[in-house]
Parts: sequence; structure tokens; C-alpha cells
Amino acid sequence: MSNTAPGKDRRDPKRFDRRKSTNVSSHLELLSKMSGHLAVTLNIEETIQKALDLIVQFVKAEGGALFLLNDKDDSLVCKASAGPVDIRGISLQAGEGIVGQCVSENSSRIVRDVQQDPNFDHSVDDSTGFQTRSILCTPMTVHTEKIGAIELVNKHDDSSLFSDMDLLMLQTLASAAALAIHNAHMAEDLVEQERFSRELELATEMQRSLLPASRPAPFPVCGINLPAHEMSGDFYDFFELNDGRICFSLGDVSGKGMDAALLMSKTSSLFRCLGKTLHEPDVLLATINRELCETAIHGMFVTMACGLLDPATGEVQLANTGHEPPLLHARDGSFTPIPASAPPLGIMPLVAGNDGIRKETFNLDGGTLYIFSDGVTEGDLQDGSRLGIEGFKKIIRECIDIPVAERFAAIISVLGNAEGKRHDDITLIAIDATNPCLNENIRDNQGAMIVRHTFPARADELQAVREVVSKACDDCGCSPSMATDIVIAVGEACQNVVRHAYKGIAEGTATLEIVCKDGIIQFNLQDSAPPVDPEKMKPKWPKELGPGGLGICLIHDIMDEVEYLPVHSGQGNLLRMVKFIERTN
Amino acid sequence: MKHEISEKQGATVVAFTGEVDLESSPVAREILLKCLESTSKVIVDLSEVTYIDSSGVASLVEALQAAKKNGSQFSLAAVSEPTRRVLELARLDKVFTLYDSVDEGLNA
Repeated sequence: MSNTAPGKDRRDPKRFDRRKSTNVSSHLELLSKMSGHLAVTLNIEETIQKALDLIVQFVKAEGGALFLLNDKDDSLVCKASAGPVDIRGISLQAGEGIVGQCVSENSSRIVRDVQQDPNFDHSVDDSTGFQTRSILCTPMTVHTEKIGAIELVNKHDDSSLFSDMDLLMLQTLASAAALAIHNAHMAEDLVEQERFSRELELATEMQRSLLPASRPAPFPVCGINLPAHEMSGDFYDFFELNDGRICFSLGDVSGKGMDAALLMSKTSSLFRCLGKTLHEPDVLLATINRELCETAIHGMFVTMACGLLDPATGEVQLANTGHEPPLLHARDGSFTPIPASAPPLGIMPLVAGNDGIRKETFNLDGGTLYIFSDGVTEGDLQDGSRLGIEGFKKIIRECIDIPVAERFAAIISVLGNAEGKRHDDITLIAIDATNPCLNENIRDNQGAMIVRHTFPARADELQAVREVVSKACDDCGCSPSMATDIVIAVGEACQNVVRHAYKGIAEGTATLEIVCKDGIIQFNLQDSAPPVDPEKMKPKWPKELGPGGLGICLIHDIMDEVEYLPVHSGQGNLLRMVKFIERTN
Repeated sequence: MKHEISEKQGATVVAFTGEVDLESSPVAREILLKCLESTSKVIVDLSEVTYIDSSGVASLVEALQAAKKNGSQFSLAAVSEPTRRVLELARLDKVFTLYDSVDEGLNA
């Protein structure tokens, strides 16, 4: 038919033009109809069925099938079928049949009359009773990516066979369908990724909830855990026993993936549960080991140090299974490591006592005991070297005069390679009976009142910070309206740390120090985030509506003095804000 | 922060309660923009807001901008003292339409 048509057209050019233009316009109409239909659905099954139905309808075929390429084994599976015989589910090997050849050669095929084609395989016709006369087939690709193929069977009109025009049409429609399928694939991937991220967020939240809440002074144990990725393979925990002693632990699971995170959850739960009844660190570790070995996961183990502190006497009992030696920093400045007496947990049976897990007993005597994961000592520094145990000791020595939580901040601030990335989880706890860690409220030797509040730089911590500020303003004798203003200003400063300084990369901590003396109230807000440019922190009132920089403007409006000071550890930011107090009386 | 949405005299009244800060302002923003999609008059009752920070103010500003774009009405009513203070400090108190009460806003 296609051989005779051009002849007729040559005789009557007008008719040819009209027919061509009718074809083109209805073709465009179909394309736009198809895009419209396909745009509304991002469901892949629906998309391919709709695409095939429209194409079959427009090309006036008796039936059709849409095959998608299976990435795994390069087979072609029929995913949509139109016409008298439903062939969904049938699968062709790469290169098999007309469809397989089209895809592997990436070229279209027209078999005008199958009866004349020796390669035609009659088996499907024989089994279904369907009679194939004419076949069109074209591959679907997006850019260079092969997606599958569309095959049409028999022109609807019994007498006619497929023409070149039909093939051209199919090719155009197939590329639109390919794009729609590609988009639907992407949408499905996106939804799947979104679902996965949501689950990961829930898991992260769940895991963080296993860590103990920080306790106000004079509680002598505090800790920090910064996962390198969403989930952590490290953990720490502490809780009080009825006799006033405090049970504490820090563990590090081998590996860094989700499996490590799950084993971490299991181990920390065992510690919390068994630790309440077994008040001997060596016996406790031996019992946890037995549980872990019973349900051992091949090749995974846990290094762990755990102990008991008697805050009344400063006496500590400590047991260590395979963990990097905790360091006792004594009052005289010396460091004593407490090495492991047994291999990590989860590998082999271990007993408590001299033949297995030994318990060391010593007195803090005004010193501090640090337990840390290897993410600290093996952590990368900006210059490409590692912190190492000596680097750790150096920072501790330099920070001896500042509260424990700020020492943590100083250590964390140096960890991270040139891109600011960390490859391992960082976990640290400190046990210090004489220098409680958090939220101090003390008077210095000049009689100034000092409040210190260290908090994780997270949006959900800001309310607690505002409460601390509000109370301090009250205690310093600020008028209620001034206190309201100060809360606004300090709230904005803390918000900036949460939003901008850490940029959501890692969860850092910040420390707010409030000093009240001689008619002024001063706020020192320190973080360990990369330094900000103080020039950028100057107030610029927006000319028109626009909330950018509003927080900084509020701070400058409310406070009498605002300045960024250099930080002694060289990293992080220190914002000093001063307000002259008008007293209520 | 808590919120309550009600339909009154063809307007949508959104009442926020508590603290609108960095933690809760994304929720406030979403609620306001959503209400503006379906109603041409939105009144925000701020009588029970005890604290609002710059991120909360930013949500209000964004809603106002969205309303102006679609020709909808967007106003604040019964603005609590702490909220009024921040709007003043931010010099945005003249930018918003403020009503002393929700009723005044409904009848305006």
C-alpha cells in the first residue's frame, strides 16, 4: 500500500498536502493528548497502559504490547497489552523475536505481511488462535538509555497492512511514551528514596533517644555522641543506682552501617537493663558478652568500657573489654591509661575476674576520667593528620580551666578533614566529681553571678535556652520588659548558631555563659562551628519586606554592645552581647 | 505551638497558641500558605502567642506576600504583647494589617 500511495499523491499534490496536514495536526493532537494523559500520572503501571491504549487506538491496530527491559538480566517483559489476546507477563530473551531484535539493534521493524516473512514465529498464534498478518515494532529509548519496545499487530481494517507512515507515527509516539515511562520511573525512585529517608530519620531519632538526657549540675557524668552519618555505631549511657552510685558506659560497635547501629541499640539496651541489677562492671560486661555471643552476628563485635562512680568518695571501678584505654587525667596533670583486660564483646565466652575481665579500682581524687571512641583519636584533622592520643591530651591540658562540656567542644572543633567531614562517629564521656559538666550556676571570686548552659545546637533546644535566659534576667534584676527584649535577642543569637553556624551538617553544641555584675548583664555565646565573617554579621535593615538578617537586626537593636571575639582554641565563634540593666527598683 | 483553624463569615481564622520559634515556624508557615490557597481572607489570631522569633515573623511575612500575589486579604488580629514587641522591633508593625480583635477583622 505504501508503494502505491505516493503514486496517487503525485497525481494530486493538493490532496497529498491536505492529507499530510490532517495527519500532522491529528498526530500533534494525539501527542498533546498523550502528554496530557501521561503528565497526570506518575504511576508506572497506569502510564504504560494508557500510553499503549492511545497508540493502538490512533494507529488503528488490532492489538499491541509494550515490553520493558529488565535491567538485571536484559530480558524483555510484556507489561501492557491491548487487543484480543492478553500477553502480559510473557518474557523474551535479549535479541529474541522481532521485539528482542528491535531492542538489541535499537532499530524499528516493519513486517508488512508476516505470511511473506520466513522469520515469523507462529507459535504464539498457534497457542492463542490469533492470526497475525502485519507487525510494527519500535524500541523506546531516552537519550541513550534503552527502556523497552512497543509492538503493534494487524491494521484494524482487515484488508490493509501497516504502512511506513504508521511506523513513523509509532516511532514518534513511542518516544513520548518512553519519556513518560522514564519520568514515572524517576518519580517511583524518588518516592522510594523519600520513604527510605523518612524511615532513616525515624531510626535516627529512635537511636538518639537511647542516649541519656544531659543532667544538670552537680551531676558528674556527661557525654556527647556525634554520628558521622545518620546512624551511630557508638553509644554512651549513664544512670544512677539507688545507693547514689552512678553506672556509666561507652561502647563502639565494629563497622559503621545499619547493622552496627542495630547492634549498638541492642548492646546499650542490655547495659541499661542488666546494669540496674549487676553492680559490678566486670560481671556486667561478662553477662552482656554472654548475651551477645548467644545471638552472635558473624564478624561483629563491641568494644566497651563501663564503670561505677561513687560521687561521695570519688571512687571508680572500671572494666574494659577491647576498648581504647580510657584516660585518667589526675590533678597533677599526669595521664594514666586504663587498658583493656579482655577482648571485645561478642567474640568468645569471657568470665569476670583475673582470668578474664578485670575490674580496676581507683580514686578520681579531683581528676577527670575520659572514655572515648576511636573516632576521636583516629579522627582526621584539617591538615590531613590524625588527632592521636597525644593531640587529645594536648587539648585536654589546654582546656583544663574551662568546663567539661566546653572541653568537648574544643576537641570536636578540631576534628574533621579539610572539607570539614568526619569519617567515624565521635563519642566521648567524662567523669568528674569536682567539676560538674553542664549548666553551672556559680559565683566567681568577684561575686559575679555566672550561669553556664551548654546545649545541643538544635531547634528543639531553644525553648530551654530562653528559659535559662529569662531566669537569669530575673535573678539579675532586669525589668520584665527588658527581660522580654533580652530573651528575644539571645534567642535570635542562638537561633543563628542552630541555623547558620552548623548549617545542619553536624549536630554541634553551643555554650551560653551569662555573667551578671556591676549593672550589666553579659552573654557569651560560643559554638565550635566554622568561623563566620563578623562583617557579614552586621545589621542591614531590609529596604523592603524580606526577613533575611532580621535576627541580627533585632540583636543589635536590643543589646547595648554586640561583638565577635576571637576564640582561644582558634575555631568556633564567640559572640559577646552586653545589656546595661535598668533595675526594677 | 498549637493551632486551630476555623471558618467564620467566609474567612479562615488561624489561631496560634504558645511559642512560634525555629522549631514550630515551618508548621506555621505551611498552615498559613495552605489556608491562603483555599480562602481569599485569612485572619491570624495571635492573642495566645507567648513568643515569636524572626523565623516566625518570616512565616507571617511570607504569607502576607503570598496573599498580596493572589489578591487575598491577610491580617493579624489580637496581637499579643510579646508578638507586638517583635513586630515593632522588626519595623514590620506598619506592614501588616492589624486588628484589635478577630471580630473587628471579620467585619472589616
